[in-house]
Amino acid sequence: MPCPVKFHSRNEAETKEIGRRLGEKLKPGDVVCLYGELGAGKTTMVKGIASAVGINERDITSASFTIIAEHNGTVPFYHIDLYRVEPREVDGIGLYEYLGRDGISVIEWAERAEKEIPDGSIKVRFNYTGEDSREIEIEGIEL
Amino acid sequence: MLILGIDTSCDDTSASVVEDGAKIISNIVSTQDEIHKKYGGIVPELASRRHIEMILPVVDEALNKAKLRFKDISAIAVCQGPGLIGSLLVGVCFAKSISYFNKLPLVAVNHLEGHIFSSFLEDPLPEFPFIALIVSGGHTNIYRVNSFGLYKEISRTRDDAAGEAFDKVAKLLGLGYPGGPLIDALSEKGNPETIHFPRPFVDKSFDFSFSGLKTSVLNYVKKNPNAKKEDVAASFQLAIIDVIVTKTIEAAKKEHINGIVLGGGVSANKALRRRMEEIAHKEKIKVYLLPPYLCTDNAAMIAAAGFYHFKEKDFANFDLNPKAYLPL
Repeated sequence: MPCPVKFHSRNEAETKEIGRRLGEKLKPGDVVCLYGELGAGKTTMVKGIASAVGINERDITSASFTIIAEHNGTVPFYHIDLYRVEPREVDGIGLYEYLGRDGISVIEWAERAEKEIPDGSIKVRFNYTGEDSREIEIEGIEL
Repeated sequence: MLILGIDTSCDDTSASVVEDGAKIISNIVSTQDEIHKKYGGIVPELASRRHIEMILPVVDEALNKAKLRFKDISAIAVCQGPGLIGSLLVGVCFAKSISYFNKLPLVAVNHLEGHIFSSFLEDPLPEFPFIALIVSGGHTNIYRVNSFGLYKEISRTRDDAAGEAFDKVAKLLGLGYPGGPLIDALSEKGNPETIHFPRPFVDKSFDFSFSGLKTSVLNYVKKNPNAKKEDVAASFQLAIIDVIVTKTIEAAKKEHINGIVLGGGVSANKALRRRMEEIAHKEKIKVYLLPPYLCTDNAAMIAAAGFYHFKEKDFANFDLNPKAYLPL
């Protein structure tokens, strides 16, 4: 297992760029879990990841409302946002229908579905270091 | 011509009978706010289960209240999406079943199209072309509506929808759910000039972005834990409304259109309505405001839009599937 790598992002554009670099390394079946509080830059990173697999980043918006948004890039892309999901309600949303299959899944607020997350998933942790700056730690993939 | 509309896109089960896309005969909405309140948001699995329990009584009541039976109905209109997939599934399956059993044509309606056509349920009727602002928990979209079926998307949100920003800010202020009405009410007691939150104007496009605004509120509250909630709420609300109103009016001016229709739950926000009317008045643009029960999700709007699909003979088959993500 590769060591965790730490990045320092000074703004949204840099977070997106880190996402794009990560996205370029992903292959179908990969699951990326994003951990970080409100406003940490999770959706911004999803935009970056999605842009690496041929999806217009404008099409990626917050998925809090519908929980799962499916997009068709060079591979199927599942943007999952568990912000509104209670950990004990996770069973009901059918995550297993998406994770580790034909597409790439990116999960925001992944801590709410810890039991459903397959082994070997890529983990991305965001920490506030200032109003706009963040420390982003990526674990489980060679970048 | 009578259309039975069904909407189960999110957390409300609704059925309605509408005549000729314009006159509401009955409109039943069973809300689930009480169920989801304690979670601070909608729990999808609970929502779908509740829809299963409510769909039959709600449809029954819509027909009973209209003193009608299935034989009097010309078609069934159902919301196909966007929305929560489990919730949509209940409405779509139910609509297919009653359409098959009663040999009634089925039409599929996009929820956003429904919100646009809400405005045809209330006098005065807007004249084509008009600008439609759909602003809700899941959407913040501006369309140019040239006629039925001819919609041009002018803008959308790049991250959070306006209603979502209201909900998230309400949650971080510890106000509860749903956030929109709570912030609207609290703001009446606060001073909106206290804090100047950034107005997120995305480059020069008409697109919205509210994620950064939410983060600024979070940063402010962290730094100023003793700030008056009333003032934070009012200042946040003014910032978000400023952006929505400015972009909508600018879009109308650029398209040379003098009518704006508002739809979606956030369009019931009192401060937004006041501000939109005030600025539009200066620009000689007419604003079509709906009563709150037509702003929020309802099946009358689905029946209204369904009427136009029916006239165009745009019928759905029994292989109709709901779609969580369904751009108009």
